[in-house]
Amino acid sequence: MKKPFALSLIAAALLAAGAARAADPAAKPAGVDAATAQKLEQQIDLMQQQLEALKAELGQLRKQNESLAAQQQQQAVQVQEVAATASAKPEGGISPNLSLWGYGEIYYTHPVHQPEDTTADLARAVFGIGYRFDDRTVFNSEFEVEHAVSSADDQGEFEVEQFYVDHQLAPWVSVKGGLFLMPFGLLNEHHEPTNYYGVQRNFVETLIIPSTWREGGFAFHGDTDIGLTWDTGLTTGVNLANWSPNPEDPLYRTALQLENSGAAPLQASHQELQLANAQHLFEYGSLNYKGVPGLLVGAAISTGTSKASAQTPDQRVTLWETHARWTPGAADLSAVYARGSITGTAPYNTLNAGGSNPMPSKFYGYYLQGAYSVWRHNGYRLAPFVRWERYDMGAGYEGIAPGFSPVPGGLASDGRPWPQPYDRVWTYGANFYLNPHVVLKADYQSYQTNSDFTRFDLGLGLNF
Amino acid sequence: MPASDEGKMGTMLTGFSTRLRLSGALVLCAALAACSGGGGSSGSPDQLSAAARLGQKIFVDQTLSVSGKQSCATCHVAGFAFASDNSAGGPDHGLPVPLGGPNMDLSGFRNTPSLMYASFIPAFFFDGDGNPNGGFFRDGRAATLADQAIAPFTTAFEMANADAAAVIEKLKTRPYLADFTAIYGADVLNDPDTALKRMGAALAAYETEDPDFHPFSSKFDYWRNGQATLTSQELNGFALFNNSTKGNCAACHPTTSANGSTPAMFTDFSFDNLGLPRNANIPANADSGAPDYTPVNSDDGVHTYYDLGVCGPLRDDPGLNKSGICGQFKVPTLRNIAVTAPYFHNGQFATLADAIGFYVRRDTNPEQFYPTDSGGNATKFDDLPALYGGQFLVNINEPSSDANYAGNVNTGEIPYNRRLGGQAALTPDEINDVIVFLCTLTDGYDPAHPAAQVLPAQCRAAVTASTP
Repeated sequence: MKKPFALSLIAAALLAAGAARAADPAAKPAGVDAATAQKLEQQIDLMQQQLEALKAELGQLRKQNESLAAQQQQQAVQVQEVAATASAKPEGGISPNLSLWGYGEIYYTHPVHQPEDTTADLARAVFGIGYRFDDRTVFNSEFEVEHAVSSADDQGEFEVEQFYVDHQLAPWVSVKGGLFLMPFGLLNEHHEPTNYYGVQRNFVETLIIPSTWREGGFAFHGDTDIGLTWDTGLTTGVNLANWSPNPEDPLYRTALQLENSGAAPLQASHQELQLANAQHLFEYGSLNYKGVPGLLVGAAISTGTSKASAQTPDQRVTLWETHARWTPGAADLSAVYARGSITGTAPYNTLNAGGSNPMPSKFYGYYLQGAYSVWRHNGYRLAPFVRWERYDMGAGYEGIAPGFSPVPGGLASDGRPWPQPYDRVWTYGANFYLNPHVVLKADYQSYQTNSDFTRFDLGLGLNF
Repeated sequence: MPASDEGKMGTMLTGFSTRLRLSGALVLCAALAACSGGGGSSGSPDQLSAAARLGQKIFVDQTLSVSGKQSCATCHVAGFAFASDNSAGGPDHGLPVPLGGPNMDLSGFRNTPSLMYASFIPAFFFDGDGNPNGGFFRDGRAATLADQAIAPFTTAFEMANADAAAVIEKLKTRPYLADFTAIYGADVLNDPDTALKRMGAALAAYETEDPDFHPFSSKFDYWRNGQATLTSQELNGFALFNNSTKGNCAACHPTTSANGSTPAMFTDFSFDNLGLPRNANIPANADSGAPDYTPVNSDDGVHTYYDLGVCGPLRDDPGLNKSGICGQFKVPTLRNIAVTAPYFHNGQFATLADAIGFYVRRDTNPEQFYPTDSGGNATKFDDLPALYGGQFLVNINEPSSDANYAGNVNTGEIPYNRRLGGQAALTPDEINDVIVFLCTLTDGYDPAHPAAQVLPAQCRAAVTASTP
């Protein structure tokens, strides 16, 4: 952006100078000789030629600008460099240090085998406020309304998604404290709808990595010259006492309900700094390598202890993941593998024998995704994609009573089988960008196990 | 507190039946267990407040009744988990409802509920979905334990005092009057209504403070604390009890703590309409032969009186008469359920096997529970007016004849969402397993001396030989 801007200034200065000099002949005193006049005309002609050249150059620069804008749009999606920080956000008018931003998304989801469950939802509307106190200290916050209406009698929620202060200690290390996003996977820190493919977020980074996953605590982070970024800290962790071991009815009947039910292991137990039990803190660490243009590889781990009930021993909860993204040209290839474990589940499940929702000892998921920008024009961009993913929220159980299964084998009270906590899902769809900040989405998801979940989705997302 | 809302006549226990001896041992065990610091809390009279000690004296004082033969303890017998002794040789002569009144010959309307763990019941309220919750008596009509405690003093078929003034006149003759005035002052005696409320407060304090009412000393409690081991049959019964597609009992009788600290209450304090059969052994159900104080509330040509629970008639609260909840009764705790027979609000079933059998076969085999003629026509839910979904005619030979039921009886939840000819949610063996689990909810278990707790015969009978 700097070069075109500088050239534009030079061009403007030359134009102004040329215009001033072109005006001179009209102002010249009477009696100027013909030779001088001719010389001046020659100079004017020369300047006109220079102007034409500049015009041509400007035209080229405009094209370059358009090209760069499109490239930036692609990079925003591909490289996911747009962190939710004030530095990446436009500054407001109240104070040059104040920044405001926002994002949100609206869904329409149509389960093809259960049309009665077709749902439209303003899934989330998020507004961010940031403030730069000085060159080294910045505050960021995000406030989110989920499902449009939030009250005691409604299904929506109003929640603080981020609320932290980041301070640079040295060029290579900063410290942050407060409620912040956990640096896991490709999506959690970059969960704006323009940053991912598909109407809804993928299952691996919803059910295994509980996006949008945030914890309260503090952390150190920094970059290195070789393209390695690191982040490590101490945070609040999950509270297994929040687990519901024996719901009378299935917690979800559709894919959308699954995403919103909080049924997944860490969804059910993460605390979001809401009077969080902080007796036991969790440690985490993450590494990402961005040293090769277009390539991102990384991994993260979080671990700590919790306690599901007074009668159970301390239980260690661990989640780790590894991820990669490669964006050669118009292609966008990515993969995530995430796996979690909970110890000490056997006594807990025995104390809740026969329950319809035993606590798993293992859970995992992974996906492979490919997208390609097939068409760009005048700021528009169309990127079809395909994703295959597998998730298993209950890959292992301990302490299940003899003769009983982790998922009830009979019919639920609605006369239908209980849904299984695992599946393999194909997603086909496309993101159509009106510009880098507004995206229309469509996809079709096919479920191998819970085939009733198969659905068609439409979505509108924005981010500014 | 005085007698139950259903009333109870009879003298204090004049002897110890076998069952009572067993239960007495149970309570002793409870005290021992409590003192041993096991699952229960410990307590002694010295640890009770002055009000609670006063309440304890009132609780057992028969002089406060017109008959001179009835106290709270007459119907709420410690050896029966503070429910009644309904044995044939007991004070109620085997009736499912207690006897009371001036001559101890007037029958009540409902089976006496246990007072154990009653102090954990929340005040009556409607939840966000409009469903009733909590409250005291089986219909939740008393807001507090104290309110409930004083009602039987002036109920005609219970302690039968004409009014509060009559109760207070008796109180003035009692040796613990000085205790009463020391706590509440002497002036309150000039205001009988208030004085009676103070008596209720003392009774509530006793039931709240004395760990005999909530020892948490069952085998289940010790097991939860890692101090006892359930047999495989008990554990299987527990799993069946919990499982959403089998017993699904835990849906209304939760087996986990509601707040993370107080042990499981085995009730969620909700209300439900199970469509229980009409109990012909309750005198009030005799229509033309019913006692003259029976409230007539039906002209449907079938019965003149129906006990509609939260809709009345014992609950006189027109503002709560939502037709959709008529016939609902409060879900009771299942702690000590093995020693509180008979079961349900009308005492219809004498054993746990019968009670659980009703749950799981009510809809698959209605002929086992409801009037059925030789042609196979069964009248389900015969203790509920047709207006609320009662008197539902089905033919056991026509599987589709029970389709499209629309009424107040719960036919949606497991296990009572079955249909004619279908498979019961629990097999007889599984019912036995659930029974032996329920028996682990009996207070008085001593992990150091497990054999010291002698459970009722129905518990022993349910233990299968093949299961250790």
